[in-house]
Amino acid sequence: MTGPTLVVGEVHEGGISDATKEAVGVAQSLTGKENVVGFLAGGTARAASAGFGRLGVGRVHVAEDPRMDGATGAVLAHLVAAAAESLSAELVIVGGTTLGRDLVARLGIRWNAAVATGVTGLGRVDGALEVRRPVFGGRATETRRLEGAHAAVAIRPHAFPAASDSPAEVAVTPVSLEGIPGPLWAPKRLRVEVAVRGAGPSLADATIVVSGGRGVRAAENFHLIEELAASLGAGVGASRAVTDAGWRPANFQVGQTGRTVSPQLYVAVGISGAIQHLVGMVSSRVIVAINSDASAPIFRVADYGIVGDLFQILPALTHEVRRARGM
Amino acid sequence: MEIVVCVKPVPDAETRLRASADGTTLDIEAVKFVLAGYDESAVEQALLLKEATPGSKVHVVSAGPPPRTEEVLRASLALGCDTATWAEMPAGIAPDPVAAARALARAIATVPHDLVLCGKNAGDDEAGVVAGSLAELLTVPDFSDVADLRWEAATSHLKFQRSTEAGTESWEAPLPCVIALQQAWNDPRTAKLPMILKSRKLPIAKVAPEAAAAPAGTSRPTKFELPPPRTGAKLIEFKTPEEAAQKLVQALKEEAKVFP
Repeated sequence: MTGPTLVVGEVHEGGISDATKEAVGVAQSLTGKENVVGFLAGGTARAASAGFGRLGVGRVHVAEDPRMDGATGAVLAHLVAAAAESLSAELVIVGGTTLGRDLVARLGIRWNAAVATGVTGLGRVDGALEVRRPVFGGRATETRRLEGAHAAVAIRPHAFPAASDSPAEVAVTPVSLEGIPGPLWAPKRLRVEVAVRGAGPSLADATIVVSGGRGVRAAENFHLIEELAASLGAGVGASRAVTDAGWRPANFQVGQTGRTVSPQLYVAVGISGAIQHLVGMVSSRVIVAINSDASAPIFRVADYGIVGDLFQILPALTHEVRRARGM
Repeated sequence: MEIVVCVKPVPDAETRLRASADGTTLDIEAVKFVLAGYDESAVEQALLLKEATPGSKVHVVSAGPPPRTEEVLRASLALGCDTATWAEMPAGIAPDPVAAARALARAIATVPHDLVLCGKNAGDDEAGVVAGSLAELLTVPDFSDVADLRWEAATSHLKFQRSTEAGTESWEAPLPCVIALQQAWNDPRTAKLPMILKSRKLPIAKVAPEAAAAPAGTSRPTKFELPPPRTGAKLIEFKTPEEAAQKLVQALKEEAKVFP
């Protein structure tokens, strides 16, 4: 592969999203700074393309149109495949977001690309692209060889460092929305409600996660979990027992039927460690378990365990964390 | 409404993972295959829509090798799907997800389809690619991470919510389209014995594998690795909750180096 690498970005708060910055970092280390071209769509895409320039990406294709805010992967794939074709690009890299994954799935057909999602490692072996990606909820890792003239890769959030600042002038190539089939515009995004979650980071973004399980016993006790999370600057998760009981909404659930997380530190409180839950968190770097039952399976995957009553341990732990962090 | 639901056989969650002899993929010897958890929810969603919309049918489709593909199709029939179609694919645990979508598209082409439902991803390869690739092949829109799916007969639109990085998005879309459901928020029904017995005799339509490979990019697994086994927690000894807290914070700071 010798053609340029196209990084499809997403606009966030007037610039480009963190996921996009990670994608730029991967692209630059794989193909060299001068070979990376950006792509950005949305009502404010032109202004936001300066975010690419700040990372040393000097060429950006821009589809500035308010209809692109909330556009689906179908519309975006039309534009990206055309841009990739016109650049003779061989690789498209996107951040590990909902839209990023939808886009590469489309490019697998539209651009005849070899596709990989959730990628945590990307390199060339004997000229061919190889990706590493966790499978089975992080219980194993597979290496895959991407074969063919084109590849489209969605990286896993936080698996790669963001590109570093290295300002460059941005030359913008406008992208026309003409030629997108009418039916693709038919679905309408009616509104967006920003996710309800305390002050902390979202589960997907958090480098530390504190989760509560059945041992918390009642919805009104869950604040103990949230207070520990707040002291650590952590995201808040829950086991299926908690979301099934309605103590917290379904989007808190970590596990096989919820979200898979792999933070630096995962603190499981009052969670027994059913396989259902383990597959969603076992690839966390360091796991702490707090549970009154010494035989709970969670202690087999944890690095540190406290066998004790969470109603006594948590207040003390929150206090100690706050003290240690000078809060 | 003609509803298609795509299902995939995946190793049971309790499966002990082991690399195959050549080290490229999962060793499937002695692995028990089941209907993927998210797909179970998709089947449930399809049946709920059918029950709420008179005159509807649910067509289950799957792409994969024998015998496990046939087994999950029969399991879906036992739950109440009306027809089953099987796109045969060569054996192997980890086919390319785009290739799987191409096979599914061939199966879907043989049944009426207004709405195609998929699970969010399969619990094995977790690619989450099939729905988007399928929609591109069928030239219809697709939506991932969907919950709260409802059909509004008055306006002939689907209404649903999506959880994305932006938050909770409310959408409406006309048919046809492909929908990948977010997670198992519904409580899938279990098959009743008479239906299980009946499903063993129901016909399954077969769609032959594509003769020539498409001129397309693809992927193949070259290595399957397991992390070193965890040795069990280092238990913190303490007399008071305060001592436990201090020792844990110290360990996270100095030993594990993950204290913020």
